[in-house]
Amino acid sequence: MNEQEIIEKIAFNVIQGRVTEEDEGYDEGLEGQPAVAELVQMVIEQRIDAKKVVVNALTGSMETVGDKFDKGEYLIPDMLASAECVGAAMDLLGPHLADAGVQSKGKFVLATVAGDLHDIGKNIVGIMLKGAGFDVLDLGNDVSSERIVAQVKDTGARYLGLSALLTTTMREMGAIIKTLDEEGMRSQVQVLIGGAPTSQSFADEIGADAYCRDAFHAIDILKQMAG
Amino acid sequence: MIVIAEKINATRSAVREIIEQRDEGRLEDLAQRQVAAGAAYIDVNVGTGNGTRQDEIESMQWAVSRLLDATDKPLCIDSADAAVLEAGLAAMGGRPAMINSTKADVKYLSTVMPLAQRYEAPVVALAMDGQGIPGTVEGRLNACRAIAGACRDYQVPLASVFFDPLVLPVATDAGQGKVTLNTLAAIKAEFPEARTVMGLSNISFGLPGRPMLNAAFLQMAIYAGLDAAIMDPLNADMMQAARTGDALMGKDRHFRKYSRALRRQ
Ligand code: B1M
Repeated sequence: MNEQEIIEKIAFNVIQGRVTEEDEGYDEGLEGQPAVAELVQMVIEQRIDAKKVVVNALTGSMETVGDKFDKGEYLIPDMLASAECVGAAMDLLGPHLADAGVQSKGKFVLATVAGDLHDIGKNIVGIMLKGAGFDVLDLGNDVSSERIVAQVKDTGARYLGLSALLTTTMREMGAIIKTLDEEGMRSQVQVLIGGAPTSQSFADEIGADAYCRDAFHAIDILKQMAG
Repeated sequence: MIVIAEKINATRSAVREIIEQRDEGRLEDLAQRQVAAGAAYIDVNVGTGNGTRQDEIESMQWAVSRLLDATDKPLCIDSADAAVLEAGLAAMGGRPAMINSTKADVKYLSTVMPLAQRYEAPVVALAMDGQGIPGTVEGRLNACRAIAGACRDYQVPLASVFFDPLVLPVATDAGQGKVTLNTLAAIKAEFPEARTVMGLSNISFGLPGRPMLNAAFLQMAIYAGLDAAIMDPLNADMMQAARTGDALMGKDRHFRKYSRALRRQ
């Protein structure tokens, strides 16, 4: 299989929700064919650029999954199956996204906000930031504002990344910034936000330092911040 | 749920006709429809009840040879007579088959277990002995213990055994449903490597509303540890009852089989 075929097959299997060979897919009869784990292994063996896989195989296919869920074609378990695929792929690709031997560009606390379980995008951002040389402390998903603020305080992190995928949970981000303010910590830390429902205007509204469209955009913004 | 498709059974008059007239078209069709509906094994019982042992052997050889062409699925060779079982297994030409059945009776164990060993075939083992079906959990479990002992003697791994806890109609004894369910759980606890199987429809014999009774009992049995069922895969409601039970027990990752079946409707 050449690079193009492998990437297309990974995207196909993310949409089918198949992590390993023996997994069933959304459609019938795919058992036994190589799935995300086996295909990503090929990526590593053939030294295909891991970033290409993230951009061309993982991110776009989750959008397709979201569309299918919107249309009522996919159910929650189908979405979850696809999410597992991206998680498995990122676990394997993570070490290959890192620039070896780069000095730390600073401490970065990352979290999906309280009430929100979506962590695929945040995990991708975390791995890409690690790869770009940041010292990332990933707090996970559904993290309370108190814990996020406490961790920023304890680590003295210069950067805080917040992720939210629900219109109901994105408001948490504003609350966190307000708490940072009240605790007198606002100037210590740059707050970057992301996640599908967020936007530049939302970032402006809640007083975040930056809105990040995706992981690469986040890295660009961090470069500018480091100036 | 491992579905052992029950329709090719000569106690049904339509199938008796197929066997007697050697009607291979209808035989193959019946097998293929059951496979398409989700059968993992096709049960083959050619005992018409009104022929000699030699008739049954020849019928079995004919049916097996026709079915080998009709489907890739393994067959479940079903007879109370070990000679018929052996003829069916030999006719498989090395393809995998299941044996249906033996019970805890020396006469059966000493003839059927060697076949299971020689053909490396999974075997259905009824939780009963020469005296009949024990009325209690302990009685049925004792029958299973005797069968497990024979497995050791004949070098048949317990992983090849499908214990059948047996089902008696609740119409005559309302306590029988629980005896079967508790026997299932006890078998699973004592012989974790072994699997379990049963035929379901007996439970509702003599009562109205049989489909609902059968489906409810199937799902309770799945909870108690049922791995396989001898059932009619063409009965869509029972098939979905099985998928629903499996899904609720966490045996259908991401509800793949469950939701795919609903999508097809
Ligand atoms: C520096 O800081 C930064 C920087 C950049 C950052 C950043 C932080 N965070 C993100 N970025 C950015 O970079 C990332 C990488 O490029 C990008 O991240 P994204 O996360 O945007 O992109 C990912 C790479 C891929 N995208 C995703 O992973 C999300 C995909 C969709 C399909 C999705 C999924 C997979 C899931 N879901 Co949910 N889910 C949907 C999503 C539909 C969609 N089209 O987005 C959405 C978000 N979900 C929704 C819903 C409703 C729900 N979900 C729910 C559950 C789930 C699953 C658990 C099944 C699963 C999540 C599994 C997991 N481990 O994450 C429920 C809520 C659970 C909860 N409390 O959080 C539930 C309520 C469903 C229900 N009825 O139960 C919808 C939200 C609607 C709304 N108005 O808010 C939704 C848009 C689907 C829809 N069309 O209805 C950028 O945004």
